[in-house]
Amino acid sequence: MRKLLKNDLLTVLKIWNDEYEVFAPKKVDGDVVLSIFDEENFTTDYVNVTLPVKQYLFEQKENFFKWNKTEKEITVKTPDPNKLTSRVLFGVRPCDAYGVAYTDKFYFQEFEDTNYTDRRKLTAIVAVNCLQPGKNCFCTSTQTGPFAEQGYDILLTPVRDYYLVESASQFGEALLTMILAYLSPIDSEQGAKDKAILKSLAENKFEIEIDLSHIRGILKKTYDSKLWDSLAHGCISCTGCTNVCPTCTCFNVVEENIDDNSGRRVRYWDSCQSDSFTRNAGGHNTRSATSRVRFRILDKLSLIEERFAMKGCVGCGRCISVCPTYINIVKIASELTADYYTDGGTDEELEQIIQPVRHIIEQRPQMDNLYKPEIAIITRIDEETPDIKRFFFKYKDPSLHERYIFKGQFFMITVFGQGEIAISIPFGPSQRDEFDFCVKKAGKVTDALHSMQVGDEVGLRGPFGAGFPYETIKGRDILIVGSGVGLAPVRTMIVQILENRQEFGKVAIMASATKYEGVVYKDDLKEWAKIAGVQIFYPLAKPTNEVDAHVGYINDLLPGLGFDWANTTAVICASPRRIKAVAKDLLALGMQPTDILTSLETHMRCGTGKCGHCKVGSHYMCVDGPVFNYQEMLQLPPEF
Amino acid sequence: MTNSISEIADSDVIFIIGSNTTEQHPLVATRVYDAIKTKCAKLIVADPRKIPIAYEADYYLPLAPGTNLALINAMLHVIIAEGLIDANFIAERTEGFESLKASVADFTPEKAALITGLDAELIRSAARVYGNAKQASILYAMGITQHVTGTKNCAALCNLAVITGNIGRAATGVNPLRGQNNVQGACDVGCLPEILPGYAPAGSQLAMDRFSPIWGDFANKPGRKLGEMLDDAAAGKIKALYIIGENPVISDPNQAHVRHALENTELLIVQDIFLSETAQLADIVLPGASFIEKDGTFTNTERRVQRIREAIPPLAGCKPDWLILTELIKAMGYVADYQHPEDIFNEMRLLMPSYAGITYERLAEHQGLCWPCPAENHPGTPYLHKDKFIRGKALLTVNDYENPAAQASEEFPLILTTGRVMHHYHTTTMTSRAWSLNRESPHSFIEMHPNDAAVIGVKDGWLVSISSALGSIKAHVVVTTNIKQGVVFMPFHFAESPVNKLISDKNLDPVTNIPEFKVCAVRVEEA
Repeated sequence: MRKLLKNDLLTVLKIWNDEYEVFAPKKVDGDVVLSIFDEENFTTDYVNVTLPVKQYLFEQKENFFKWNKTEKEITVKTPDPNKLTSRVLFGVRPCDAYGVAYTDKFYFQEFEDTNYTDRRKLTAIVAVNCLQPGKNCFCTSTQTGPFAEQGYDILLTPVRDYYLVESASQFGEALLTMILAYLSPIDSEQGAKDKAILKSLAENKFEIEIDLSHIRGILKKTYDSKLWDSLAHGCISCTGCTNVCPTCTCFNVVEENIDDNSGRRVRYWDSCQSDSFTRNAGGHNTRSATSRVRFRILDKLSLIEERFAMKGCVGCGRCISVCPTYINIVKIASELTADYYTDGGTDEELEQIIQPVRHIIEQRPQMDNLYKPEIAIITRIDEETPDIKRFFFKYKDPSLHERYIFKGQFFMITVFGQGEIAISIPFGPSQRDEFDFCVKKAGKVTDALHSMQVGDEVGLRGPFGAGFPYETIKGRDILIVGSGVGLAPVRTMIVQILENRQEFGKVAIMASATKYEGVVYKDDLKEWAKIAGVQIFYPLAKPTNEVDAHVGYINDLLPGLGFDWANTTAVICASPRRIKAVAKDLLALGMQPTDILTSLETHMRCGTGKCGHCKVGSHYMCVDGPVFNYQEMLQLPPEF
Repeated sequence: MTNSISEIADSDVIFIIGSNTTEQHPLVATRVYDAIKTKCAKLIVADPRKIPIAYEADYYLPLAPGTNLALINAMLHVIIAEGLIDANFIAERTEGFESLKASVADFTPEKAALITGLDAELIRSAARVYGNAKQASILYAMGITQHVTGTKNCAALCNLAVITGNIGRAATGVNPLRGQNNVQGACDVGCLPEILPGYAPAGSQLAMDRFSPIWGDFANKPGRKLGEMLDDAAAGKIKALYIIGENPVISDPNQAHVRHALENTELLIVQDIFLSETAQLADIVLPGASFIEKDGTFTNTERRVQRIREAIPPLAGCKPDWLILTELIKAMGYVADYQHPEDIFNEMRLLMPSYAGITYERLAEHQGLCWPCPAENHPGTPYLHKDKFIRGKALLTVNDYENPAAQASEEFPLILTTGRVMHHYHTTTMTSRAWSLNRESPHSFIEMHPNDAAVIGVKDGWLVSISSALGSIKAHVVVTTNIKQGVVFMPFHFAESPVNKLISDKNLDPVTNIPEFKVCAVRVEEA
């Protein structure tokens, strides 16, 4: 521990500013913002800066890549990390430093997001502990302040006329080496004592204090509280709360076209408080106004912690200050807590229902750039139904096929200038040098894809997601159900199982649709029907002369299959309503809910658990799913 | 607004009528929330739709479209009958009280109940709460003005405030919420057919005395109103039209007539920042500059004059409006010797006493100044009419109720009322180009009560056609209990479902010529 005289602070900032780009608190009208170091308007007199430092690491708008199309080819260029500058962010408050610690975990782990991490590696955080809380501060309740414990390279604690100085990283040490002349040694024991006294003094100044120790359980128990409805009437979706939140990481991917032959794919901050955040192309929205308002509070006080084992709310109070209709996360938590105990709830009950937090996040394979698509060429197009086409692609660079390892559940397909869509993998591991995907015409990107020709170029990212388990279902009877284009995601299982037919028991495949014209893989189905021990059914709403169809429901056919139900695995891809209807009968026949597998594809945009659009409960469907078993599906909130 | 925005938080009663405040004026609404959530103020909301702020109301009055005047007159009746008036204020600062009193003597809540569809006791309670307030604010917007009785509606609200002494003090007043960042400023400088800068009536001696020393000889006579100009253009009497920053093809009633009028001109010039539906009809388009590309001042709804500064230079080929206009004036052989918007502002200060004390220098120091600000040492005026009304005493007026011009019939059994959504601005020329706003509200819709939907045989999400005597458009149904039975609502923003194909240009307020945008008889059918 060392000390730095407050009188020397400006000199120190100037020394750093000669080598790095220093950002420091600056007075602007009535506010204090973190801005390019400005000696004249620099201040240490502030509770907190207006916006969290997140904006310097995860910028409000960032380029993913620029694409260019010539007659010959499409090229894709990602931003050059060498153009980034090295920065020192000075004066960061402990709540915001905690926010950085969380966003670090979010962006470095699992799939590394180099847009963030390249910038982050060049950024030093100099945090300053708080002695005085603001009107809406409640970091003592979230245990993220008023003294910082993580998320900084250097930490300063103001004591009388000097700062206690601690460093926590090599970058921090390097910065201190530059200013050795202004640092003097201090007895570490005395320093720690001073710090502890100041911390407890600061903690006692907080006006807002709330017990959040059981909040995760309480939020589960009060999920259907009327309070959420009344808050929803107030919320105008201005998205102010998420814009000022240090732990909000969601973004939208936007195509910004320069002309017909070039453009950029960019990301902008997005907000789960927009009504359209979870609305799909057809207008269906998985979240109502009530669930939208509830989701933010749940995410901050419970869901982030459940998945990342860190606090999702840092207690900075910005969302309270900024809300035009007085939606207040502290008041909501207090009110729900009071309601819970008033209604006779107990702590024991809460402890039973709380999900353990997932401390370990799976590390995914490293990619140089998560968001850069690889160019692929359309090699064949089959018309499956009037609105579904089957596209065959080959990577332009054949080595990508050589390096390809079969895994995952979906790919992201880019039509340059139009956008990107998630499409499930319908093929098995034996198909290595060509990929094929079934695409239903349903919106802007799929419309554009449908008008493309053999030889045209698209972009591919992937594979992503957790696929169906294959090894663990060997030796069992297998029921596969695909409704309409829903046969595509389960086709990957069909081809694998049929290639190793002898390793499984009975196999039944049901291709359901309104009309036979709506069934995909018609030729495949006819071929599969020839394999011994494989039964093919066509449950249709309308009769047909083409095949021997069953006019009626999937459910009608189940009892007649003669399966060993206790030893059966079912794979179902249909609407959540249809899945539930079929699963109900399967359970009655004796199946276990963990043996019914399904794929829940909802709003996947980035494919890597970053953009937040497909988050349901604490799950990112694109990473933790989209394959879930029926038991897991029922535990999800009904927002998919 | 007679008063300023921040004062609303200190009102103990707030009466919102014809304003979807939370969605259209969120920063005003936040003061309402402050008053009701942290200071226990009472809130009265009158609107045919259960708009978001209505959920916060102590008294929500879902009145039939076009019947505001019946409600207000009944409230006046209750307040006078029950002695809730401020007798001293009336005696000292008003005239005309006796005739007002006589005019509402038989306008009981029971009578108003028959017209508005409201419960008489609810009207009585709301009137009492307003009448007993210490500091009551009235907030209104287009829901009051876009009626054949628009002028009378405003005057009746003024009566309400004046007889209870809720004017000329902080946190009271009659507060029309202006719909655009600078519509107040545009009015202040005379962008009105009968008004010259500083509200000098065109044709008056006052105008002559004030402007001729600077301007010399000038056309001191009233111009034509917007609707009249379009009528004259359609009739071939107006040969050329120069439209700046307006999109009448979408925003004006009777779209077919508007198109015909614009196409019938010999010369149509449109100055805008995007190629709007109107600009697409123009012979000449003059590309303007957006707020971010120009210097100057905006005057907001609370009369606050604020500086804006150029953040980026105008895009290639574009110019700020003032520069286009001065170059045009010069090209026509007149003097327009302005180097910067400040030169124009200084001329405004010279000609408009209420701006005389506002300088660019002072604006840089303050976060704007509210006019009247007659001298450079004057702090500005947060609320008007403190000791004296501009005309001396407030004139209380008689505003007899009239039915809306549009009435439901067998052929057109539903009443369409129009408005806006949170995420779009006017005809979407700007907001449809921002992904985050357009994504929220990409298409038009029609709100309908479940009982009406059942009668027509349509369900939520279905496409329907909406027809009036003038035309027919299509939109998807949103079934909601937030609207009165018999009433349907549509936003007017969308060119794909242009509501103004349906709205008549003949049903006008006789004083202002504002069309009856809020009431239109329609038929809805499955499309």
